[in-house]
Amino acid sequence: MEGVACLVGECGLLLQAVCAVLSRTRGVRSNSSTEILQGLLEMGIRGVTVSDVRGYGAQGGSTERYEGSEFSEDTFIAKVKMEIVVCKEQVEPVIDKIIEKARTGEIGDGKIFLIPVADVVRVRTGERGVHAERMIGGLSDKLPPVITIS
Amino acid sequence: PIQHFPCPPQAPAVNTYYAANLSSASTSSLPVGIPSSSSPRPTTAAAAMLLTKPQLSSSLLASTPLFNPTSNPNHAKPIAASPSPRRRLRISAASTAVSPGATALSRVDVLSEALPFIQRFKGKTVVVKYGGAAMKSPELQSSVIRDLVLLSCVGLRPILVHGGGPEINSWLLRVGVEPQFRNGLRVTDALTMEVVEMVLVGKVNKNLVSLINLAGGTAVGLCGKDARLITARPSPNAAALGFVGEVARVDATVLHPIIASGHIPVIATVAADETGQAYNINADTAAGEIAAAVGAEKLLLLTDVSGILADRNDPGSLVKEIDIAGVRQMVSGGQVAGGMIPKVECCVRALAQGVHTASIIDGRVPHSLLLEILTDEGTGTMITG
Repeated sequence: MEGVACLVGECGLLLQAVCAVLSRTRGVRSNSSTEILQGLLEMGIRGVTVSDVRGYGAQGGSTERYEGSEFSEDTFIAKVKMEIVVCKEQVEPVIDKIIEKARTGEIGDGKIFLIPVADVVRVRTGERGVHAERMIGGLSDKLPPVITIS
Repeated sequence: PIQHFPCPPQAPAVNTYYAANLSSASTSSLPVGIPSSSSPRPTTAAAAMLLTKPQLSSSLLASTPLFNPTSNPNHAKPIAASPSPRRRLRISAASTAVSPGATALSRVDVLSEALPFIQRFKGKTVVVKYGGAAMKSPELQSSVIRDLVLLSCVGLRPILVHGGGPEINSWLLRVGVEPQFRNGLRVTDALTMEVVEMVLVGKVNKNLVSLINLAGGTAVGLCGKDARLITARPSPNAAALGFVGEVARVDATVLHPIIASGHIPVIATVAADETGQAYNINADTAAGEIAAAVGAEKLLLLTDVSGILADRNDPGSLVKEIDIAGVRQMVSGGQVAGGMIPKVECCVRALAQGVHTASIIDGRVPHSLLLEILTDEGTGTMITG
């Protein structure tokens, strides 16, 4: 149906996944990821998927410090990956908030990847697209409504 | 002599007393060599006091922890305690009186108010880097040692990391070697390295272990070589400075059973590299990496200044709390300079690796450790992540 086709087409432009791979600080008390999640919650981002991953990334010869030891190019270090799907307007505020909370200036602060999302489906209701991504009381309720010219 | 600190009611002053046994007149004024025979009892006495007087909440403690160290060093060791977790000033409601009844009451009050802090940090590891004036003066040394034992008794897990510059210099002279420094860093050739290792690991370390034992704690003296606690690598300017090392790797496996069984590790920062060559590592740096490796809650650096000053010339401009971004700004803005920069950098590195707070505290203030850990106001600059 034409309506659905339009919606699917719009989603590709309107939804983005902000994928942050960050250094996992010590053990159970990963305090920096808790702070980031707190910060995101405060600004209205109420859905995140967090996974524990391993990774390494060469930083031009400099070593990353983890638990006191230096790690060079090819040794895995524990990391935290956060994936947040937001509307396009919310991408920059989310990035700014993550950087504000996570930046220490040391090697190992991590990277953020922006990935376009083709569609979002809410399993419970079958909603798709921007409506599925939207959460009641979240950031889109706080920001002024965006008027799209179609 | 009765240990009382005169407290004029109009001037906020810090006046508290330990649990009854610890502040009894006989033990307080003696040098550290005298064992405190009542040391196993304070915990139960303190617990009993806490249990029997739960309603004591009147704050009789002053707001500022500033204590004038030059006024009669033989007096009691005051600590201030307040239960609120945020850093705000509190006005003292009652002044401390000299009468014994009020003394006992004030002691119990203070202990009761330290409860929230003790609860918050119970079981947590705290790394203390010990150096500077606090290491040279016997009174300050004994106050640091007693603080460590107290913290260990109430449930924190302290780890002591120490330097030892002045001792090294005096022994080098005895051996007939002139100590050399370049840009504030010691030039360490092979002979100097031998003397450094002997003095730091053999004398300074074991002296501290013995003092802790005498104060009632149990200490274990280690250096970086033990159980490969620290593996060193030559620092970038090793060509000019000799055997000065950086921390390549920390393996804290050996520390866990030690602190789990209630002992206090005392670590000398001499370590070997992969080939077994000994290096001297800066104690501040090593303390930061050890704190990261054990997942410490706090890192405390005892220094000879009151902390980070916003204006170098104004001692009243102490920065009490600051975050990483703020402190980096201060470094780039030139407000933090000289010897404070390596300390600040080591704090930032520790915070980036998960230590919750890193503090630069004034070692010249008696009981600076207790002030920092068990009170709101603290006694230096706390850097948070």
